[in-house]
Amino acid sequence: MSQASAAAAPPAPERPLPTPTRESQPYWDGLREGRFLLQFCSSCGKVRHYPRPVCPHCFSMESEFREAPLGGGLHSWTVCHHPFNFFFKASAPYIVALVDMDAGVRVNAQLHGIPEAELKIGRRVKLGFEPVNEEVTLPVFVAE
Amino acid sequence: MVHPLRDKAAVSGIGETAYTRGTTKSGLALQLEASLRALDDAGIDPRDVDGVIPYFPGGAIAEDFIANLGLKDLTLSAFIPMGGATCVAAIQMAAMAVTTGVCKHVLISVGRTGYSGSRVSTRLQQFPVFAQAAEFEAPIGMFAPAQLYAQGARRHMELYGTTARQFAEVAVVTRQHAILNGNVVMNKPLTVEDHHASRMISDPFRLFDCSLESDGGAAVIISATERAKDLRKPLVTIAGTAEGHPDSPASIAQRPDLLEFGLVKSAPRAFAMAGVGPKDIDVAEIYDCFTFTVIRQLEILGFCKTGEGGPFVMDGRIALGGELPINTHGGLLSQGHVVGLNHVIELTRQLRGEAGKAQVKDAETGLVTGYGDMGDGSIAILRRAA
Repeated sequence: MSQASAAAAPPAPERPLPTPTRESQPYWDGLREGRFLLQFCSSCGKVRHYPRPVCPHCFSMESEFREAPLGGGLHSWTVCHHPFNFFFKASAPYIVALVDMDAGVRVNAQLHGIPEAELKIGRRVKLGFEPVNEEVTLPVFVAE
Repeated sequence: MVHPLRDKAAVSGIGETAYTRGTTKSGLALQLEASLRALDDAGIDPRDVDGVIPYFPGGAIAEDFIANLGLKDLTLSAFIPMGGATCVAAIQMAAMAVTTGVCKHVLISVGRTGYSGSRVSTRLQQFPVFAQAAEFEAPIGMFAPAQLYAQGARRHMELYGTTARQFAEVAVVTRQHAILNGNVVMNKPLTVEDHHASRMISDPFRLFDCSLESDGGAAVIISATERAKDLRKPLVTIAGTAEGHPDSPASIAQRPDLLEFGLVKSAPRAFAMAGVGPKDIDVAEIYDCFTFTVIRQLEILGFCKTGEGGPFVMDGRIALGGELPINTHGGLLSQGHVVGLNHVIELTRQLRGEAGKAQVKDAETGLVTGYGDMGDGSIAILRRAA
């Protein structure tokens, strides 16, 4: 093996990105437009997340995406220290918060701006929008 | 009415390879090596195996067993894609196959190059159930089980006061048991201080709360009790067995209760099938992908109430000589990670009286659990024939 190839810098790790399905595309389109859209059953009106073809309450296949409120309370969290994906090595440790949204579903997203010591179940947070490229915007939680 | 499966099938053979970090063998070779040992243990001619349930994804398909072991007439080939719950769920399927006459002898096998081959975050891409996590959670930096299960553990700590000290107790006791077993990856004593000083992986899980990435193979043979009676080893029957799947099976985040997983549904069915309760269990091999997972399963199984699992594991209760010895072989935390088939092997040894220095005195009835794939839960209750 030559010295040159041994010294070659490895490629920068790429962020894992979502591959939207036909069901979830409207959710990701909403985030890109800065809107938190959730899937509601057109028949019984119940919300469901993550997006899927059939309402598990009334079995209707008709649904619509509507804007939902951004507030919620902490359900649980973890602080990720070990970067299982090398992309996240530079930002570790980071907090991933699981939030009971006021809209009646949960959302998992990174939590920014609140120190670990201040986390407790029920603490209020707000969903924000973090564009990562032209196509994809990810949810992020910040203080309400 | 007595359940038609109760005690009608038996674990007739067990086999395992060395558990190591580093191997030149393939996952398939490890499975075949363990399978040949299990067949020898049972005294069954390899060609007479007619059902094969290999672990998926694990480098082998049932056809590989025809090619390598010369099976004459394979009548059942199946994968059970339930992650860590696979091996014990396979016991249920095998028991159904041998009691109905579809099969004579079903081989359940695992071969894993978890250390020398691909690691956990790569392997997970092959699991169908992880597609949802790949879309919604991997982009935010959350994909590995240590991360996905950490939020449930944190919630348990917040709601019930469960502590890292109690997590450590599971790790320390499991290591003590591993040291009594000659075939383990981790053979040096572990202290509570070692546990607390180990690096944080995904809070609240430290390194020593996590199971091993290791290489090894394991295999178990299930036969009808009527046939197993005449085989080489003491009879160990399957008194009860069940699998269960949680609500919101592919997304822990959306699960109504993060702490309710498949075992909530399967455990009562298995106990009812066996006609026993938690008080009848002499030894338990609990799927230990994480220390906390053991604590929560002990609650679900009814050894204590929800919220009491932390205190339950303290004061020697789960150690050899205690009220409920668990993971007497060292488990996934210290022996090796073959997706819990090593737990089935150890329980069988305990009930045969073959567990050596880790033998639980007069062990007659024991249970083994599987847990994985975001929370599927399987269970088998085995007993020594009277």
